[in-house]
Amino acid sequence: MSRVWTLRSSAADFPGCLRDLEDRAPATLYGVGNRDLVAGIDPDRAVTIVGARRSGAYGRGVAHELAYGAGAAGLVVVSGMALGCDSEAHEGTLAAGGETIAVLANGPDVPYPRSKAELHRRIVRAGGAVVAEQPPGREPEPRFFPERNRIMAALAGTVVIVEGRHRSGTRHTANEAARLGREVGAVPGPVTSSLSELPNELIRDGAAVIRDPQDLLDLGLGVGEVSVRGVGPPLDPALAEALGAVEAGAATCDAVALEAGLEGRPAAVALARLELIGYVAADPLGRYTRTTLAAPPER
Amino acid sequence: MLASVRTFALLGVEARDVTVEVDVSSGLPSFAVVGLPDAAVRESRERVRAAVQNSGFEFPRTRITASLAPADLRKAGPGFDLAIAAALLGANGALEERALAGTALAAELALDGALRPVPGAVAMAERAARSGVRRIVVAPESAYEAGLPRAVGTAEPIRVVPLERLADLPRLGTEAEPVHTTGAPVLDPPATDGPDLADLRGQPALRDALEVAAAGGHGLLILGPPGAGKSLAARRLPSIMPPLSEEEALEILRVASASGHRPEAGVVRRPFRAPHHTISPAGLVGGGNPPRPGEVTMAHGGVLFLDELGEFSRSALEALRQPLEDGAVTIARVRHSVTLPSRFLLVAASNPCPCGHGEDHPDCRCTPGSARRYRNRISGALADRIDLSLTVEQPSAEALAGGEGEASEAIRGRVAAARAVAGLRQGCPNSGLGPAELRRHARLGRAARAELASGHRRLGLSGRGHDRVLRVARTVADLQGSEEVGSAHVAAALGFRRRGAE
Repeated sequence: MSRVWTLRSSAADFPGCLRDLEDRAPATLYGVGNRDLVAGIDPDRAVTIVGARRSGAYGRGVAHELAYGAGAAGLVVVSGMALGCDSEAHEGTLAAGGETIAVLANGPDVPYPRSKAELHRRIVRAGGAVVAEQPPGREPEPRFFPERNRIMAALAGTVVIVEGRHRSGTRHTANEAARLGREVGAVPGPVTSSLSELPNELIRDGAAVIRDPQDLLDLGLGVGEVSVRGVGPPLDPALAEALGAVEAGAATCDAVALEAGLEGRPAAVALARLELIGYVAADPLGRYTRTTLAAPPER
Repeated sequence: MLASVRTFALLGVEARDVTVEVDVSSGLPSFAVVGLPDAAVRESRERVRAAVQNSGFEFPRTRITASLAPADLRKAGPGFDLAIAAALLGANGALEERALAGTALAAELALDGALRPVPGAVAMAERAARSGVRRIVVAPESAYEAGLPRAVGTAEPIRVVPLERLADLPRLGTEAEPVHTTGAPVLDPPATDGPDLADLRGQPALRDALEVAAAGGHGLLILGPPGAGKSLAARRLPSIMPPLSEEEALEILRVASASGHRPEAGVVRRPFRAPHHTISPAGLVGGGNPPRPGEVTMAHGGVLFLDELGEFSRSALEALRQPLEDGAVTIARVRHSVTLPSRFLLVAASNPCPCGHGEDHPDCRCTPGSARRYRNRISGALADRIDLSLTVEQPSAEALAGGEGEASEAIRGRVAAARAVAGLRQGCPNSGLGPAELRRHARLGRAARAELASGHRRLGLSGRGHDRVLRVARTVADLQGSEEVGSAHVAAALGFRRRGAE
């Protein structure tokens, strides 16, 4: 387990967006994982995706898909690691190779719910962070959950509600988002489903309709700023050759070596480095594919 | 009248001293063999009777008792025939004392009195030299093996006496006693007459993975569809492994001899064993009573290749743990336990999914679930002992048409140099480095540390994965003659790392 760090509201590196909470801003934010991700969060490039714990396959699937799109586009996805929609939002981001922040209602080092301990680890390992207002080691209490929701709403400039009942914690997050002036989006659902009560009601009240990741990007980044891909660092010639080989369809180390005119070992080195930077990803069988991370323009 | 001679029981790959005593006394004609004989040893009474009579000796028509001591050691096989017959002839007065003094005998008898070879002549000759025997009598086919301990360099000199027939026994201790001398075999002949890595075309990364595996003694997993050159590559691995030392050569010979594979005359090569995936746990690690060596022991000093790793039974793969951890298998029986050597280089190969095509191939008929279970099986098996992994595919026609790769001899030179460096530093190949030794022997430069930290963050490297990467990086550094482990070495290790679940 990584060490717990803190962000104090008195310090300069306290996330600016949390100051929108004014006197309700947390005095101290505890966290594990990537501190810089939280300290340097840009709410315009972050989106909170939340939904019901007892959600349906519909809500979970949509949460996953929205988070995947957001993560692939380089947005930071914020959610609460709860069962159901929240966990799927984290999973989707991780699947896209994106960075995600989980906001907990207990100490940041306490994986709650317990069954998500493994997700907790993966979030941290993938360069994300888990934060909380509660100090390390603290177990969750009912009153902590609404307090947690205000932080989720404040961290991102866009808040999307996937599923939720009329009276629920999700509603609390939506209210906080509106109060803070965040962009609020909701995923429409069947009017006969109690799980869609909240999002449908929010849409009636003026929230943006979110049907797919594109809607989410349009809401969060403005129409036209489609699929903003991250741009990676410049590459030395061997890496550039290897990347070109992967783009041309070489999926194994041998193929990359031949295509790029490298020896076996330099090809393995190049692929490992490309994978570390994020230009290529490998499936469980070790076959390489190109990611969405864009190479910098030629000089 | 009583006579005794020396012989040996083969237990695993070691020989134990056995004394055969035969008493011929008056009484009703009978022939008893005592001292825990198995069925084959009891049957030797019939072979001995026929061989003695057919060799022109008289078979006593009285009470004969043959005792194999120590009596609590189980004796198996026909290898005691000659010793029983010789002691019988001694007790009967047909052989003189000087023929049997300081003599050990080990051969099976044919009914016409011809000597037949028995397994384990190498171990028996070694044992004989240690227990003060002056000459060892064997079948002519076994003479080469019996002379090997002396020829390869370490054992005390003893006379190896090859005899064609039982009737030749009276020649022992006389001028007419034949002697066999085994010439020193060539250790690890150049690969020019065997499979050479130069044949592996269009797969530069696979060639390099083999080189790293050989240099560090790292287990290697090759993933790829049928026809991607997996077993072609594995078969060429022994040709780039470091040259054999005399001690290793003798271990290989002892195992080959004990498991009944007569060693090839004049050379000692590292073994390559590729058991089929239907093999039982006992077949893989050895078993039976008395225990017989399994595939891991027959691969000692060489390569054990498990093709279709995902098809091996779970119990067979579990059984591989001890030999991989300890470099030896211990088989415990009620009365004794036997330790068999099993230090080998593990190469495993697997298809990407049960049907072999790979899930993204249009012809793949596997369900996502079955493919995932298969993968977990592959990566779960032997997880701690496979440091290297590489995904391969069928090389394209152009790639195959390209020039030959580097020949095995050149690669072997680098491998041997890297092994020597590792041996001086820590006394074992890099694959044997534990976490604490790694910290001491694999010092990372600043850039290498950053590279590894980034591996943790971006690739989800686990603690054990970390150690595996370090071990391989150490080997890559050794191959490139670098004392410090640099960032390119770490990156190469990351490129060859094993993926998937722990």
